[in-house]
Amino acid sequence: MKLSKITALLMVPVLALSLAACSAPKSDANNTASGDTQIAELIAQKPSSAEEATELFQQLLQKENEIFASDSALWEKVFLAANKDVPMIEDGKNYGDFLLDTIESAKDQFTADEFKTLKAGAQQVKEIEEKLTALEKEFPGCGSTPGEGESVDASTAGMTNGKSEAAKFPSFKGKDLDGNDVNSDELFSKNKVTVMNFWFTTCKPCVGELGDLEELNKELVAKSGQVVGVNSFTLDGNKDEVADAKDVLSKKGVTYKNIWFKSDSEAGKFTSNLYSFPTTYVIDQNGNIVGEPIMGGINSAEQREALNKLIDQALA
Amino acid sequence: MFKAIKPVAQVALLIVGMAMVCFGVMRGEADAVLAKAIRLCLECIGIG
Amino acid sequence: MDKRINTVSHLLARFRGLIQAAATLATNIHLPNFAKGGIYQGAGKAVCVPGLNCYSCPAASGACPIGSFQSVVGSSKFSFSYYVTGTLILIGVLLGRFVCGFLCPFGWLQELLHKIPGKKLSTKKLKPLTYIKYAVLLFAVVLLPVLVVNDVGMGDPFFCKYICPQGVLEGAIPLSIMNTGIRFALGKLFTWKLAILIAVVVLSVLFYRPFCKWICPLGAFYALMNKVSLLGIQVDQCKCVSCGKCAKVCQMDVDVTRTPDHAECIRCGKCVGACPVDAISFRYGLGVTGNSTAQSAQARENK
Repeated sequence: MKLSKITALLMVPVLALSLAACSAPKSDANNTASGDTQIAELIAQKPSSAEEATELFQQLLQKENEIFASDSALWEKVFLAANKDVPMIEDGKNYGDFLLDTIESAKDQFTADEFKTLKAGAQQVKEIEEKLTALEKEFPGCGSTPGEGESVDASTAGMTNGKSEAAKFPSFKGKDLDGNDVNSDELFSKNKVTVMNFWFTTCKPCVGELGDLEELNKELVAKSGQVVGVNSFTLDGNKDEVADAKDVLSKKGVTYKNIWFKSDSEAGKFTSNLYSFPTTYVIDQNGNIVGEPIMGGINSAEQREALNKLIDQALA
Repeated sequence: MFKAIKPVAQVALLIVGMAMVCFGVMRGEADAVLAKAIRLCLECIGIG
Repeated sequence: MDKRINTVSHLLARFRGLIQAAATLATNIHLPNFAKGGIYQGAGKAVCVPGLNCYSCPAASGACPIGSFQSVVGSSKFSFSYYVTGTLILIGVLLGRFVCGFLCPFGWLQELLHKIPGKKLSTKKLKPLTYIKYAVLLFAVVLLPVLVVNDVGMGDPFFCKYICPQGVLEGAIPLSIMNTGIRFALGKLFTWKLAILIAVVVLSVLFYRPFCKWICPLGAFYALMNKVSLLGIQVDQCKCVSCGKCAKVCQMDVDVTRTPDHAECIRCGKCVGACPVDAISFRYGLGVTGNSTAQSAQARENK
């Protein structure tokens, strides 16, 4: 884990250097070539553990962003030309194919050279995406590192478009605080969007936002969505903790569902690994986590806006 | 005068200190401290 | 016997920098967490460390006593923390403000900053400001978290939330570098606390340990305990030649010959090293009084 972070950090200057070299006109033959072989090497790798897979995943993502960043102005044109009616990422459709199609359809906007660069780039993206999909299949969850899952490169490369290699929220079988069974597959699939709020009883910022979450839940019900709370103290259904949590919830007038699951389940481990509370995840109908989780209360204007964006993204 | 009081006060405070720690642990304060300390304190870092 | 104790005192004073570094490392031992962007979540966090050391620091191995106190009294279940107060009384009786001089990471930081060459200002005339820290302790740490509560009975950790610069330095800065979610969430409160941190850093270059002297509630508690601490500084009035070098060298504005158990004395031992006749030494034990005037004077007269 540590190694991967350090490599990621080390790669930033490398990336910056290679970008600087690439932007110099007509002198990029060597660099692109070495970039190509690096990508090929990465794609050829066969990780043996989930951690290695995660690392490789991040590296590949970085390479992909590198491709976009190396000719950002040009790619910007491609994104603009993209057909807005067709959803960017359909199920099972490769993002590289999508780019290739877009480039093809907007052919007349580019010079022959530009067209060639774009084609080559999109081809590489396609290969990377294929590998990413394979990785995700072999090691589910390797595309996300919850809680610390930021990829430095994505933000530094200034990529705003949703390169959302979807990460599944760990499935669970649990109970709500009244003892009714809750099943994650059912829960997620019946809602167009599920907002999962992680909190604990003695956390003041968490308790402070419960009212806002209640409001949000009312808004979401109209859009066939739902807010679900997970109190990390109540994992395994400890009776006293459940009673305490219910007490706080009733005082704050919360009516939306609060649930618990076993702490040794995948979702339980996921919760235990969170160290920042409150944290709010947005989950789409397919059970995928949308974007980055919101850390801290959602009661500030900026945070609320960020959350709304994620919700809209899930509904789209 | 003062010299006689000081060691008495020191011993008394040591005993009181230990008693308070034990009492605090018994009524679950150590768990409360742990629960706070293993999670990010949003107020401390300027978010809360 | 005096000779031996003096040697220990001198050694302590001489290797203080090393001890400070070691203490800072010991209370922040989980260094890999800086790269991971997470915090240590083990059982060690149930125990309070002696110094001001934010538990939201990725590397922190224990809990900050001031933060712990506020979080316990701020919870709806308790309105006073026997556990943390007891711990502080124990540390206070055993070491007193020795903690400030030798074990506190934030004290060490201020000292290192003070080593930056430049204009240095004396704090002698600013003595009234030293009483601010008692107000901080009383209000921001003890009273407000209990009294100002929300509808569920929970209070804010006022000191942590509005004053403490250590949380920004150890917690917010390293975590926000590694974590986009946290970086995004930082708001006005962070800006305010960052301003405090910058002010403390700048003042530390100009003044010696401004935060310890004026603001720190932990220092205030240990200052009260300094009077009854087992660890003290003793001046042998027999040997003392009243040259005044100890008072001159003291950066906490204490005249150790007059008030060896002064609340502001952080037991740094600069006076021990400065004394030309080795009259000043660390002492440890029950009933140690600061100066041996009476006995020694009598002893001298009897001779």
